[in-house]
Amino acid sequence: MAIEIRQATVLDLPEIMKLETDSFANDAWPEETFKSELAAKHTYYILALEDNLVVGYAGLSKLPGSDQADIQTIAVREDKRGLGIGKKLMDTLTLQATELGAKEIFLEVRADNSAAQKLYKLFGFKQIGTRKKYYQPDGVDAFIMKTDMRLKTNKETVVLGIETSCDETGVGIVRGNQLLANIISSSMDKHAIFGGVVPEIAARAHLEALTPVLDEALEKANLTLDDIDAIAVTNGPGLAGALMVGVGAAKALAVATGKPIYAVNHLVGHVGADILDSGELKTPTIALLVSGGHTSLLLVRDLLNDVELLGETIDDAAGEAFDKVARVLSLSYPGGPEIDRVAKDGNPNAIRFPRGLTLPKDMEKHRYDFSFSGLKTAVARHVELAESKGEEFSIADVASSFREAVVDVLIKKAVSACKEFDVPRLLLGGGVVANARLREVAKEQCEANGIELRIPPFTLCTDNGAMIAAIGAQLIMAGRAPSTLNFSAESTLPVTTVQS
Amino acid sequence: MGRYFNLMKTSAASTRIADYSLAIDTSAGTTVAVLSMGTVIAEVNYLEPMTHSERIGSAIEKVLADSGIQANQISTVVAGVGPGPFTGLRVGLAAARYFAIGAQAELVGVCSLDSIALDFYIGNPSAGNLLVTTDARRKEVFWATYSGVVEGVPVRTHGPSVNKLEDIAGFIDASSHATTELGVRAGALGQIAFAQELAGVANRKDITPIYLREPDAVPSKGKKVSG
Repeated sequence: MAIEIRQATVLDLPEIMKLETDSFANDAWPEETFKSELAAKHTYYILALEDNLVVGYAGLSKLPGSDQADIQTIAVREDKRGLGIGKKLMDTLTLQATELGAKEIFLEVRADNSAAQKLYKLFGFKQIGTRKKYYQPDGVDAFIMKTDMRLKTNKETVVLGIETSCDETGVGIVRGNQLLANIISSSMDKHAIFGGVVPEIAARAHLEALTPVLDEALEKANLTLDDIDAIAVTNGPGLAGALMVGVGAAKALAVATGKPIYAVNHLVGHVGADILDSGELKTPTIALLVSGGHTSLLLVRDLLNDVELLGETIDDAAGEAFDKVARVLSLSYPGGPEIDRVAKDGNPNAIRFPRGLTLPKDMEKHRYDFSFSGLKTAVARHVELAESKGEEFSIADVASSFREAVVDVLIKKAVSACKEFDVPRLLLGGGVVANARLREVAKEQCEANGIELRIPPFTLCTDNGAMIAAIGAQLIMAGRAPSTLNFSAESTLPVTTVQS
Repeated sequence: MGRYFNLMKTSAASTRIADYSLAIDTSAGTTVAVLSMGTVIAEVNYLEPMTHSERIGSAIEKVLADSGIQANQISTVVAGVGPGPFTGLRVGLAAARYFAIGAQAELVGVCSLDSIALDFYIGNPSAGNLLVTTDARRKEVFWATYSGVVEGVPVRTHGPSVNKLEDIAGFIDASSHATTELGVRAGALGQIAFAQELAGVANRKDITPIYLREPDAVPSKGKKVSG
């Protein structure tokens, strides 16, 4: 079902009137009124067409010289509601109003039409007054709603993104779908002696890195803050104390510069990163996000409107498992690259380590969930047993067999999700994507199963501000209103909340 | 959110003293103030100790609106650098940093406890020594002592430090010090920064937080995972 939007003419009047009388039983406009509306020079009417049939229409009035526009009417055929047609019509109208020079857009809506009000709120409309008994003969009140002009909605909108959810302080700048700067400062070295990310150390490092990272990003993009149209910031999921640094900074920057702010979901950011690499995100896609903090399998039907969490780790994140096993093998932190290095010379089939949550009974309840805690323990037992018996063992074989077990489960579950949901695309994200074996097996398995594999470059896979800016830009281009200043940092923000 | 007009800055750096300042502190609750030449013209105080990141944006927006000052008229951002519980403290310091960049303002740090001392001595001009304590959790307090106020600036004699309340007696004669129930106030921090400027006292240009405690973390002993 493809919906086409085009401008309406007087010739469309009969079709429009049919819909008008069906949609507005008691207060439809007379045909003559509609005819003069369509013919007037200061109006702009559009149609939504499906197979050349009118399924919706909407109109705008904007007098020359005025900086205000009015949405005159909008209707969608009853059996076609809830499919996003109203959103498409509003998107086109508000864009057109902005292009015609409107600074504010007004509309009236029946007080009892909450579905329409919900649609308008998506575009930033807020109630500013009431007209008593405006709709006759029903005697229903009208709410007067108003929104500010839309931001530059062409592909030129410039967004600055701030990311502090774990141990990377990231500031990125994008123009529409295009990457301008992506500066990352990692506190990884400071966590090394602890063998894992220490939240307080990460948060302290964020505060120190904020200013240099912002300065560098602006310099790299060759822009000043005046050139930025909006600010986006990660507000979850992640480490609470770390998130709060970015949230506090972003809010203050928004108030200081008068720019709108968008609170963005970190995991959706990882998915959006691909836009900056390939210029678009092909959907639907399965996304496998693997890092020191997350192991999530997502079904993304639409980046902003339909992201579903299929499964996630029920204990350790995959990256965490690499760190812990590296410790068992007396390798340094972070464990991923170290295990990769050592595993090169090992036999991946030397030891059959357990594949978490792959037994039939587990697959019933945890089809797309992951578990690495048992695997980590199995590796430790193997090593301790060998040591207690005074036996020699090959670190290379242990590392290689462990890595194989992790990669095996990750890719098997991801590929089976692609098949089950009939989605011929797999997108990888998160820092563990740097793992050579993971990329290799993903490539093999995707090729064997006719799945298109996307792996953005590493600086876009690891935590970064550019991917957050990218989601901000997508939200703006979709006409979404900014977040209010009261959003909080939410360490367990669900992936279904793209914008807070 | 509000939109701000890009008015030209009203002054050059050399006449900074005549300008507006924004003071921010999240070492306890969330407190934000706008000052004009060292006089508070708007202030908001939220006492809850856990809502800094939610409050900070609208708190700044509100003091600006209440004062009728545009963000880019602010030429100095005064940040309370603690001590205080870390997670909250950092929210205000992160906000101060980015507000200063956005408004092209200068940053000045003031010890948060100093604001309590200033307010105490304003209410008790003839008082002698003062012991200021705030909750540091884990049965400890952040504390500092003061001997009075000179040219609008509290004179700190000990601290800031973190100790168990009963252990402070090992450092000072507690019986000769008054105590107070007053809390941190951004307006007072702004007043202190202005007084320092007037008196030609060097103020802290860096706003590194006063943590007083190392992060809680034990270096990895390695290996043993399964036991």
